[in-house]
Amino acid sequence: MTERSASLSPKSATAAGTLIAIEGLGDQALVKAAKAELDDVPRAMRGGCSVWDASGIFGDLVIAADDAGHASARTLLLLYAADLAFRLRWEIRPALNKHRVVAAAPYVGTAMAFGRAAGIDVEWLKNLFLFAPRPNRIKTVPAARGARDRSGFVEFVCERLAAHPDGPKRRELRDHIWAELKR
Amino acid sequence: MASALSLRDARRHARAHFTSPAERRGLLIAFEGPDGSGKTTQRKLFKKWLQSEGYDVVTTKWNSSELIKPIIKPRKNARALSPEEFSLLHAADFRHRVEQQVMPALWQGKLVIADRFLFTGLARDVARGLDLDWVLKLYTPLLWPDLVFYFSVSPDTSGRRVTATRTPNYYESGRDVTNLDDPVESYHRFITRVIKEYESLAVIFNMITVDAEQSMSDQHYRIRELFKEGITRPWSDWNEEAVAEWLMVAGGE
Repeated sequence: MTERSASLSPKSATAAGTLIAIEGLGDQALVKAAKAELDDVPRAMRGGCSVWDASGIFGDLVIAADDAGHASARTLLLLYAADLAFRLRWEIRPALNKHRVVAAAPYVGTAMAFGRAAGIDVEWLKNLFLFAPRPNRIKTVPAARGARDRSGFVEFVCERLAAHPDGPKRRELRDHIWAELKR
Repeated sequence: MASALSLRDARRHARAHFTSPAERRGLLIAFEGPDGSGKTTQRKLFKKWLQSEGYDVVTTKWNSSELIKPIIKPRKNARALSPEEFSLLHAADFRHRVEQQVMPALWQGKLVIADRFLFTGLARDVARGLDLDWVLKLYTPLLWPDLVFYFSVSPDTSGRRVTATRTPNYYESGRDVTNLDDPVESYHRFITRVIKEYESLAVIFNMITVDAEQSMSDQHYRIRELFKEGITRPWSDWNEEAVAEWLMVAGGE
C-alpha cells in the first residue's frame, strides 16, 4: 500500500506561494476584496480566487428532500471542511505549488467564527481545520451595507439554523458571527 | 448563541432522564467489523429476537443519512473524494444520523442497533493514512454505545466472502490509496490494513469480539448471551456531553 502521510501540518503547505484569507460576511463582498488583493499582484504571480462551495456540496444540500432532516451547526461545519478540503486540493494547493498568490474567500476564519457563535467548542474547531495551511495574510471584510449579498456561507448557515423551530434568529446569529470575526 | 437551556442544566436533564429507575432506558448496540464478517446477517437475527422479547427496535446504518448520503453517493461514483473529504463527509453523515435518528430514539427509551458505528470511520480513515486522533475528534462529542460487538474475521475470509458474489467497488477496495488496478488484489491489501486498525480499536474501546468464522447460529446465541450480560451496565457518564448538546443545539426533544 502506498502510505499517505496525512496532510495535517498547518505550516507546511504555504511554503511555496502566498495564501491570503479573505474572511467575512456575504459573497460578493468577499470576492470583490479578493480581486482587489490580486490586482496588487503582478499578473504572472496571480493564482486566482477560491470561493465557497466550489465542490457543490452545499448546492446539493439545498436540493435535498424537505423531510431529510435539519442540519446542525456541527454538521454544517463538517460539510464546510469537506468543501475546503476540495478547494485546497484543486484550487489552492496547486496555485501555491506554482509559487503563486491565491486568495481564499472565505477560508478557515469565517467558519471558526460561525462555530464559536453557534456555541461549538474551540478545540473541536481547531482540530477540524488542522489540515488547512495557515494563511500568510488575513483580511476581514464586512458585507456592503444595503447590498443584497445573501449568497455567502454565513448567510447560508444563518438561514439554515434559523429555519429550525428552536433555532436562533437569523439576524442575531449573523451579528454574533460578525462580532466573532472582528475579535 | 444563547440557548434556552444552559449546558449545566442540559447535562443534568440528560443524566436524570437516562438514569431514571422508573422507565426502561434507551440502549445503543453497535455491530462492527469488516465487510464479509456477517454482521448484517447477525444484526437482522438479533433485531427479530429483540422484538420477540418486547423491545422497540430502531436500526441505523452507516452512510444512510437522507441529507448527506445524496452528497456522498455521486462523489463516490465519480471517484472524486480524497481521504480527507471521504472522512469529513462520513463524519457529517454520522453526526446527522446521531442527531436525527439515534438520540431521539434513545430518548424515547428505544433500543437502537447501529449497523456500523464511528469505529468504521476510524478504521477506514486510518487505513487510508489519516491520523487517528484527528478522525476521532471529528466524531466528538462522543456517543458511546452500551455494547459494541466486533465481528472478527481474517482478511482471507473477508475477501473470499465479498468477492464470491461481486467485485468490490473503488473505495471499498481502497483503490484510492493502494494504487492497484485489480479490485480483488487491492481489496485484500486494504482490508488487511482495515482489520489491523479494527483489532486495535477493539482493544482500546473494549468491544466484545465475536468469532465471525463460527456458524451463524453459534454466533447468534452467543450474542444473545452477551447482550443479557451487558445490558445491566449503568448508563455511561461519557454520554452526558453528547446528549446535552443534542438537547441544546440540535433541537433536542
